[in-house]
Amino acid sequence: MSGGAGYLGAMASISAEDVPALYEGAKFYSPAVGDAGRSSVTSWLAGLLERNGPVPLMRVESVAPDTQCIAVCVLGSGSAMADLPPAGDEFVLAVRQIERLQKVTFGAVYPLAAATISALVPVVTAAQLGVPLIDADGMGRTFALIHHTAMHLAGVSPTPLAAVGPTGESVLVEVLSGPRADRMLRANVDTVGGWAALAAYPINAGTLRRAALPGTMSRITNVGRVLLETTDPEALVTRLGAITGCRRIARGRIAELEHLSRQNDVTIPAHPSSLVVEETGGLGRQLRIELRSEIVAVFADGALIAGAPDLMCLLDVSRGALATLDSLEPGDLVDVLVTPADAVWYSPEGMEMVGLSSHGIPLEHPRRR
Amino acid sequence: MSAPTIGVSLRPERAYAAVVHGATAVPVEPVAPARTDADGVIAAAVAAARRLAPGGADAVTVDIAPVLLDTLLRPESDIPPVAVVRIVPRAATDPVLARSPAEVVERRVAGRWTVAGGHDLLGNELIPLDRAALAEVTASLAATGIRHVAVVAAGSQAKPAHEREVADAVQAAVPGARISVASDYGGQGLTAREATVVLDCALTALAERLLDRCERTLARLPGDVRLRVARGDGGYSTPSRIRVTPVMAFGATDALELCGAAHLAGLDDCRVLLRRDGQDVAGEVRHRLAVVRLADQPRLGTELVVPTAALTPQPRQSSRGADVPLVLAENPDLLACVGAAIARPASWLDEVAFIESADELERVRRDVEERATAMVMANGAAPGTTHIAETSTVAVPYSPSGTVRIRVRVAGAPDDALAAG
Repeated sequence: MSGGAGYLGAMASISAEDVPALYEGAKFYSPAVGDAGRSSVTSWLAGLLERNGPVPLMRVESVAPDTQCIAVCVLGSGSAMADLPPAGDEFVLAVRQIERLQKVTFGAVYPLAAATISALVPVVTAAQLGVPLIDADGMGRTFALIHHTAMHLAGVSPTPLAAVGPTGESVLVEVLSGPRADRMLRANVDTVGGWAALAAYPINAGTLRRAALPGTMSRITNVGRVLLETTDPEALVTRLGAITGCRRIARGRIAELEHLSRQNDVTIPAHPSSLVVEETGGLGRQLRIELRSEIVAVFADGALIAGAPDLMCLLDVSRGALATLDSLEPGDLVDVLVTPADAVWYSPEGMEMVGLSSHGIPLEHPRRR
Repeated sequence: MSAPTIGVSLRPERAYAAVVHGATAVPVEPVAPARTDADGVIAAAVAAARRLAPGGADAVTVDIAPVLLDTLLRPESDIPPVAVVRIVPRAATDPVLARSPAEVVERRVAGRWTVAGGHDLLGNELIPLDRAALAEVTASLAATGIRHVAVVAAGSQAKPAHEREVADAVQAAVPGARISVASDYGGQGLTAREATVVLDCALTALAERLLDRCERTLARLPGDVRLRVARGDGGYSTPSRIRVTPVMAFGATDALELCGAAHLAGLDDCRVLLRRDGQDVAGEVRHRLAVVRLADQPRLGTELVVPTAALTPQPRQSSRGADVPLVLAENPDLLACVGAAIARPASWLDEVAFIESADELERVRRDVEERATAMVMANGAAPGTTHIAETSTVAVPYSPSGTVRIRVRVAGAPDDALAAG
């Protein structure tokens, strides 16, 4: 990320050289999906940035308050997107639909969730539209549903929103309630191939200042640089801890993967599954890790030691790289890392929306004890 | 004690061999004026095996991966041009998305066409196959004179109907064409699946030549010594299977070196430190099998859907993975030969399925395991010796509830093990 001295996000830009770090950092904040689509998406973005030039990355405070902004992300499965890559125009088509509906021209793009592929596609969209990218997002990681955002907590509606699938087909949703928008979208996403380009939360920069989480694109790039610097797990955990606040809570070998291990709520993507890890050092505890697209809780010998909205991820000790949740194998040696989420998620409203109880685990969060 | 086995590593500059008999591994050096190419080294190894045991060796497992990689990396090498037919709902609007991100792959592509069609990951048709466009594509392709055609369709690992129809149409329009279809390999990711079939097409003639030569050499030698071919996952397959799926042999050397080092150290489970391009890298062996993954192939610049050993940079003093012993590998040529000699028939499946209950999950998992077992038998396993070496089922994140990814690795004992008692 090129820029002057001082705050990294201010008056900076994202260039083709930043793409590998951006990708790795984005994976840290949502280590759900493996790398099957990596080379396709990163070369697409790098090609765009080489052809069109770097994308300006701006603090939301440095954008004129009346600038119209639009959030974009990938809705659906990264695995589906890997097998059915974008034609290339889906995100711009989605943005244009909202522009036509609202009779506005968007002057900036921001990520709905600065994590996983959804952190890269806003850069793609900004490069294609020739507008700046705002260094802020709605989640600071990834949550399952499109209204699980800081904007929603601030009273901003995700609609009108448009989703364009790899088939070229699109859906325009105008509803009053964010949760209903997500439910209406899911069935359509499956129909168009398992993923869609989403444009949502059209608001002006003045509103975005109070509603979004600042600095998250700069943050993932910094995290990505650390992940690319070394594969030594000790050095990685130490350096990541210094910039994200993450800490290792256990190291162990994966012993078992279980499915349908908790009651299923079909309004949330992916079914609940569990991971059993035998701690190799320390107290020799048995860890039970509850999954639902992301890691939602970690128990040690039956006691809850971490839970959503904490960001929990696994570091493959042997490879010195993040272990993505779609590629876990019994026998893998992993470090369990826990990173605090943005403060907004520990508020009563945030906890109610994305905390443990939203995953059917009605226990008090460890950070509140 | 069972019969000796021979491992041969074909490198671009020369061939190497070793004979393994029980715990003994003997490197084979052809005696001057014998040649150090495949013929000379195989002949010397077969003779060495007869000196170790009166009956000589039953089989030679050959690693052709170094020659395949070297040929691919040399721009001037004599590889046939490949045509790619991609079946997706819409053609790419960005030139980067229309091609492979890997230069090594794209260099072999002489023409590209897109036909509208394809399915999702669970096999649901997204749009009907555009048969009018297919007719135009086959006519255009026939006019180019290209005879090696790679066909990849979105979702063909779940529903290969569109891919097969396109392959049939190409075969009709281009008689004698060598067609590789992505559904033969399964796996995830259109880019990786396409790269796999492009390389498959590109390497067919070379693999054919290499295996013909090895078989001719063995036919001239005394005894009935069978040829086997090392796979990327460190197992082996039959020459007939590798002739039609040569990319399965790609990247075998890493896994063979790991297994060879573990064997010489007398360990079933360990970490092995190898040297690659002047750097220390580590891989793992678990239960005498190399740990393999679907990872980026650094020298190709893309992922394939063929699993290969997972190697990671690791300084010698690092204590990473300290709960298993660390083996410092030396003499990589010997290790690859030892790994080839002790290789076992293997198979791997990686699929996506939809389940609604624990019973259905069990049924789907059993079905995948049975198919993987049938594949390992076809690759040369003795009846009754196969076992599930690894199995994992994970929920596919952000997919509809019930979508699972199932990976199964099956290994067996060589089909001559029982006969040898």
